[in-house]
Amino acid sequence: MSDVGFHLAFWSLSAITIGAALMVVVSRNLIHAVVFLILSFIGVAGLYLTLSAEFIAVVQILIYVGAIAVLMLFAIMLTPRAGRDNSETGMRLPALVLMGLIIAAGTFIGLETDWGSMRGEAIDNQARIIGESLINEFVLPFEVAAVLLTAALVGAIALAREDPEDGSLHYASLLEEGLISPDEPSDAAPLSGTPGGGD
Amino acid sequence: MVIGLEEYLVVAAILFGIGLYIALSKRNAIAVLMGVELMLNSVNLTLVAFSRFSDTDVALSTQVFVMFIVATAAAEVAVGLALAMVVYRNRHTVSVDDIDLLKW
Amino acid sequence: MIPLAKWYDLRDLSGLSEEITGWIGADWLASLVSGLLGALGVLAVVGPTLLILIWVERKVIARFQQRYGPNRVGPKGLVQPVADALKLVLKEELRPRAADKYLFLLPPVLIFLPALLIWGVVPFGPNMQVADLNVGVLYLLAVSSTGVIAIFIAGWSSNNKYALFGAMRVVAMSISYEVPMVLALLTVVFFTGTMSLNGIVEWQQSEDLFLVLMLPMTAFMFFFSATAELNRTPLDISEAESEIVAGYHTEYSGMRFGLFYAVELLNTLAISAFIATFFLGGWWLWGLDEWVPPWIILLAKTGGVYFIFIWTRGTLPRLRIDQMMHFCWKFLVPVGLVFLVAAAVERTLLLENNWDASIALPVFGIINAGLTVVAVVTWAKLSGTESQKLPSNAIMARGRVGGLRAAQAIRVDELGAEPVAGGGD
Repeated sequence: MSDVGFHLAFWSLSAITIGAALMVVVSRNLIHAVVFLILSFIGVAGLYLTLSAEFIAVVQILIYVGAIAVLMLFAIMLTPRAGRDNSETGMRLPALVLMGLIIAAGTFIGLETDWGSMRGEAIDNQARIIGESLINEFVLPFEVAAVLLTAALVGAIALAREDPEDGSLHYASLLEEGLISPDEPSDAAPLSGTPGGGD
Repeated sequence: MVIGLEEYLVVAAILFGIGLYIALSKRNAIAVLMGVELMLNSVNLTLVAFSRFSDTDVALSTQVFVMFIVATAAAEVAVGLALAMVVYRNRHTVSVDDIDLLKW
Repeated sequence: MIPLAKWYDLRDLSGLSEEITGWIGADWLASLVSGLLGALGVLAVVGPTLLILIWVERKVIARFQQRYGPNRVGPKGLVQPVADALKLVLKEELRPRAADKYLFLLPPVLIFLPALLIWGVVPFGPNMQVADLNVGVLYLLAVSSTGVIAIFIAGWSSNNKYALFGAMRVVAMSISYEVPMVLALLTVVFFTGTMSLNGIVEWQQSEDLFLVLMLPMTAFMFFFSATAELNRTPLDISEAESEIVAGYHTEYSGMRFGLFYAVELLNTLAISAFIATFFLGGWWLWGLDEWVPPWIILLAKTGGVYFIFIWTRGTLPRLRIDQMMHFCWKFLVPVGLVFLVAAAVERTLLLENNWDASIALPVFGIINAGLTVVAVVTWAKLSGTESQKLPSNAIMARGRVGGLRAAQAIRVDELGAEPVAGGGD
């Protein structure tokens, strides 16, 4: 863990990860923020690879970049354009102070604790050992996680669908009740000034 | 200088702090979820670093825990984004400043 | 240097990294250089193949459609791909003024990354991979799922309603068809017991059979999901020119569009190589790899699978998006789960009872083939995906004005004696 290549890899990956996270804070456009978040996820996957955790690195890319980031992009697209400027609320200063305190505390504990003896080389053949643990010792959390994912799937679908029979959620029924006005800009299509007007 | 456990813990602490700032101070509900994801990533990084450097027999159980955190994060993002979309449909806003019906 | 019998007989690259370390000295620099050499080697093999493939595809599709392909540019049209590439390079690269400045430039680059990265795990021979990962199958899935983000950003940043619609449809299709792909690959991993691609080829070598004989429905499922991921006909809603102009790459011109086009072909070639590796034995062909170098065998099999891709593109019509989604979620996923359970049961029986593999595996193959037929037929009937029964020839002749619909409107009464004409006779 001490040769030049490893140092190069670790410091550049850490710089990419933390830099991308800072750009998520700073960028003025929410889509840019999501793209920087994806870069941060990839940086963390690279850090897992420097820790020889190959299975977790690949799972990180598969789930975080391949699924969660796509979900966020879809959700941003289906929500209004007014909220896409990635602005901050008034709680900036307390949040900044809290962030500083947490970073200081974490760094202090990380650097000052004596962590005892450390292992030199990494464990080989990790996917097999993780798989065996999941089936032998951790079978109950595994099954509970499966139930959790199914519940989340069903719940997300049930929440997000527009049920035409159930009048309470339908756009037409809202219009009819006078809760919204008919010329409300909808933001499913990001066009303005086309012939035919913006939607 | 050998890169040991402490460097990874410092990186993870910085990521956690940044994620916390995003979650506490952004106006868009989806940006708050992005901060939560960064915090979960930093926790995963800490756990994997410990799993790599720990000298015990059960070192890889930590990576099993990381798998569960990843699965739970995916489920939570799905439900959170569905909730954000339902809130938008009813209140026509996703700004956390405007969703304040339960305030006294 | 590496002693070679003939110049093409390169079959063992495992000594190469030690040689490079010997030249350079520093360990990390040697791995960097050998990684670069591996990437350059892959590009050197894959790049010219890409040019030839454009020609092959256009000629073969033309023959399927009973016409000549390109035959003006060069002898038999062989220079056509070069002419295409030159045209794309020389075209002006426009950018819509309202498009997001940096996000518009990102997708052609971003979509090229997974197309090149997955070539790192293709096993060209027993020791000829860029990286023999322990989690090769999972790496393939992870890297190919990052291409979806590039498509979405391309559609979004074009500031064009139709590009966004096209991108959304393609993204929905891609992430839906990732599920049967994962199920198919999991079934393969269950059977062979290893996630490393070289391990899968060596399993097929040790058991002396191709995996397509054991898992026919899984092979079909992977092939079909790959067709969806690659956006080829019959699932190419992204390029349905009559519907949405050109989908997510409407606003891209010049070499940016050329990159999208090249990436589609590269991905197709890579997935053909993967199908050849998983299901057709990879670089192994019953001992032929003693005489013929294994990478030539793999390239020949890849070419064969690529021909099947071109065949389906030339003959099948395009599916509608709701038909596509129905087929994925209501047909492929349940049938894939049935085969996953079947593969797990068979593998457990094989391991626990220590059966003789040369008898048990053909029996399992026959059971799987039977299970394919039963599962497909019953589930098709249950879920309404079964094929339509066309009216008989006599009724088709009677409904001659109006074709199929008129023929279907002709009702045959219960005695079956005289067809009673409905509307449109």
